[in-house]
Amino acid sequence: MTIVVAYADTAPGHAAVEAALDTPAAEGEPLVLVPAVRGEPVPDVAALVARWPRLAGRAEVARGDLGDPSDAVVQVAQRRGARLVVLGLRHRSPVGKMVFGSTAQRILLDATCPVLAVKPPPEAREA
Amino acid sequence: MTDAAFSALASLGDPSLLIMLAIGVVAGLVIGLIPGLGGTGAVAILLPVTFGMEPEQALAMLIGALAVVHTSDTVAAVLLGAPGSASASVTMLDGYAMARKGQAKRALSLAFLSSMAGGLIGAVGLTVAIPLARPLVLSFGSPELFMLTILGVSLAAVLSRGNVVKGLTAGFLGLLLGLVGTSPTTAEERFTFGSLFLGDGVSLVAVALGIFGLAEIASRVGQRRVTEQPVSLEGGWGAGIREWLTHWTHVIRGALIGIWAGVLPGVGATAGTWLAYGQAVATAKDKRKFGKGDPRGIVGPESANNSVEAGDLIPTFLFGIPGGVPSAMLLGMLLTYGIQPGPAIVTEHLDLMYVIIWSFAIASVVGAFLCFLATPTLARLTKVPFAVLGPGLLVIMLLGAFQEGGQIGDLWVMVVLGAVGFFLKATGMPRAPFLIGFVLAIPMERYYYLTTNLYDGGGWMARPGVLVFAALLVGPLVWALVKKLRGASGAVDDGHRSELETDEPEGDELEGSMAGTRWSLAVAVVAVVLFAAALWVSGSFSDEAQLMPRLVSLCGLVAAGVLLWQERRGWREAHPTLPARVESLDDAVGGSVSGPASGSTLVATRVDARLEARQRDLVVAGRTFAAMAAFLVLVGLFGYLAATLVFVPVWLLYAARTTPRTAVVYTLVLGLVLLSLPSLLPVELPMGLLQ
Repeated sequence: MTIVVAYADTAPGHAAVEAALDTPAAEGEPLVLVPAVRGEPVPDVAALVARWPRLAGRAEVARGDLGDPSDAVVQVAQRRGARLVVLGLRHRSPVGKMVFGSTAQRILLDATCPVLAVKPPPEAREA
Repeated sequence: MTDAAFSALASLGDPSLLIMLAIGVVAGLVIGLIPGLGGTGAVAILLPVTFGMEPEQALAMLIGALAVVHTSDTVAAVLLGAPGSASASVTMLDGYAMARKGQAKRALSLAFLSSMAGGLIGAVGLTVAIPLARPLVLSFGSPELFMLTILGVSLAAVLSRGNVVKGLTAGFLGLLLGLVGTSPTTAEERFTFGSLFLGDGVSLVAVALGIFGLAEIASRVGQRRVTEQPVSLEGGWGAGIREWLTHWTHVIRGALIGIWAGVLPGVGATAGTWLAYGQAVATAKDKRKFGKGDPRGIVGPESANNSVEAGDLIPTFLFGIPGGVPSAMLLGMLLTYGIQPGPAIVTEHLDLMYVIIWSFAIASVVGAFLCFLATPTLARLTKVPFAVLGPGLLVIMLLGAFQEGGQIGDLWVMVVLGAVGFFLKATGMPRAPFLIGFVLAIPMERYYYLTTNLYDGGGWMARPGVLVFAALLVGPLVWALVKKLRGASGAVDDGHRSELETDEPEGDELEGSMAGTRWSLAVAVVAVVLFAAALWVSGSFSDEAQLMPRLVSLCGLVAAGVLLWQERRGWREAHPTLPARVESLDDAVGGSVSGPASGSTLVATRVDARLEARQRDLVVAGRTFAAMAAFLVLVGLFGYLAATLVFVPVWLLYAARTTPRTAVVYTLVLGLVLLSLPSLLPVELPMGLLQ
């Protein structure tokens, strides 16, 4: 089984990685990170492991074949037969969501497996 | 209404119309197979041939080609993995993947059938649009039409992919170019510098063929050859046809998205196709196979790219606002026939509208049928390198530009604009607003004068129609501004679904490759200088004649100024220190993937490779334009036929490196075509001084 993380280099994205690491998992169960922000460079596994040592040996980075990040996350989760998708939420007002849309919402609606949505700790939210 | 529709169908029984339609379809299919031409190329190449025909025949031919270009452009995408036009790159994702699994025929039959259905649904959309829009169109007075022309240019500028400021600058440049010539109100010559030749204005064909056609030749001649072997044509047609029937909902959805994308000015086939792809992905529950050969990834987009062309025609004919580049050229053609699109066409030329619709529908069906029959043979055409096609296309395009006015000067204008188009393309300036602005400049001025003469003061601004258009005008601008502010405040992600791949698919290596370099800075500087000069020159016109030029050059100056400021800022951000090394001097934020060099060797080598590619592109383009100029000199001295017979073999042997045999045969065939053309079609060859 696999866990897929919607990764972004932001506070919610980091919270998602930590939540995924805290999830009880089988020995060496792969954690697949999918970049969930458009235009962001694909994260480097070595740099990620340096930041979260617990990722060592488990982390993989994957990109789907789709341009839209939310579709890519769902696609990778489906292809890998993931048992869980973890994503970070950030504050977004209803109007903001209407105007700017929401990647997180689309992942929640489209994913075909359970989704764990986490929020960054309050001190990170301020930053 | 239905009477008009059926009488138009009956008129299509006329053999001369049917022949023109057939020629158009075949030409469209062939043009679709050649990478880089697309709908723009199809209309541009055929347009000159139609001068001297009746409007019905001309339209039948052009629409026939336009309707099928996106049917055959799939072939190269599926078999070679190299899209025939930018919009086919979407089909490539799933189509090429499917073909590599030995199911090329399945992919192609899905694509052809969807293209056909998209064309038919597009034709239906066009039909439905007439009765719906008729009362609206008839209620328009000159104030509304004036607003519409503004809306056409600005929407094209805002909705074109990329930077809004660049789009606006391009739009104003186009408007300015459109103002060259005799003023429609005072019969005064503007920006002609005393030249009689410019007094008629710049020829539309020369502008369109230069900005798009020649620029495309110059940017593709140097392209790497396709080294990959085409995937063999395997699998059965039947399976694809049966499968297609199960995806009919995707066909219809794709077509509707296509029509809508077509109606919006500046949103062309490429964006419409991506929208359809995104829609197919978003509504699919199982997303695993997308990108690995999912039929839904072929059906929707293929259906959309054909219906886009039909959607484009809706605003073009009903409001006189071209929805895209091919329809801007069609609009120019109608104007040369004295047919004013807009209210006049639904009252006086309704039969013409229905000829268009029927032509579109018939061409879609026939085109798909021909594709099924001829793909195995036609597929070979996709392997011909562009350098070989280049001289033939060049000769045909230049001959085309000559037909409108019969002046060699037009050809020079075209080559100069070709160079302009190359730089616009390379620096990521959208060219659609440029052409749309060029076409709409004179109508805009005319409607403005009608409006100010018919209404006292600003009373016309309170008309409801005008207010609605004003709102439509301001909306996208505000939207762009909000987005920009959000982007600046650090909210990186705009979470709306948008489908453009992050890594640009091949096909268009040049597009925007020089954005953020000193070249795009130079383009901005040139734009500022041009607008300033135009502002200064327009001071010498009479009051009536100077209003439009002043307005355009002032607004253009503002837009270009902002662009310059953006470029400067991007420059500084990319080069905080003194630019000591060449690669850091020349690279900047504009690149699509790698940001400002982070110092790692990987990035540095990539930058080096890109710099090298850019240098090579520039050198090749410079040589190509020099060759074009040399050709024109030859034409001026010895006449068209002789110049072709010298130029083409030299090009083929030295630039394209073909075998002597190919060069001789190619030249002879081209020469024969040129010899026989004047007797078959109302075409004239330019004469040389020494002839």
